[in-house]
Amino acid sequence: MKLRKIYNRISVLRQERDVSRKDLAEAIGVNFQTVGYLEREEYNPSLDLAFRISEFFKLPISMIFSTEPLKPLSQELLDQKKNEEQ
Amino acid sequence: MATEMSKPTRRLLIAVNYLCVVLLLVLYAVGKYLGWSLPVAIALTAVVVILLISFVLAHIKTRLWRLAHTKAENLDERQIQVTHESLRYSYGIFTVISLAILLIIAVMSGGDDSMLILIFASLLYLAHTLPSSIIAWTEREV
Repeated sequence: MKLRKIYNRISVLRQERDVSRKDLAEAIGVNFQTVGYLEREEYNPSLDLAFRISEFFKLPISMIFSTEPLKPLSQELLDQKKNEEQ
Repeated sequence: MATEMSKPTRRLLIAVNYLCVVLLLVLYAVGKYLGWSLPVAIALTAVVVILLISFVLAHIKTRLWRLAHTKAENLDERQIQVTHESLRYSYGIFTVISLAILLIIAVMSGGDDSMLILIFASLLYLAHTLPSSIIAWTEREV
């Protein structure tokens, strides 16, 4: 089975919250190089790791991971607001 | 500390390291069968030194030796995946090389040693059936 590419916002979220790769790695229980692989989207995390990342950032998994390229978070929230208003 | 090393450099060091192993065998054979001389001894010593240096640089300094030999419980899921893939390739490559060597020895013996040919056939069979045998042995459903 060929794996699909999973896009994510880990890098943006980490920088936004001023968390180092090392601190994030420690919090989610992986090697800090693995955080680099995740951020470069060169490695698809397991469901367990995706949940740990989602719990760390206190965001739903769908806000962090996607099978399609992700828009900036601000754009997504704006689109969501527009949809709610319609 | 782990040394930051580019992939081409790591590949070059690995190639040099294995080349040294081959040269070591060749030089040893030359010394043993054609007689030891000073140039052969110097070349052999130089090869051993380069072998050790390239081993330390490629495996120890990069911490790859540790990664490949650490228990799975001390690795994260990406590292487990990487080491699993490497072991898969290693198994295949090691099997092919071992069997090729055994086949060469069997052929060089002129086919006289039927026991050697039987061992080769058994190992060939084992190498191909072992992965599926382990799955058959361990998995509840396949």
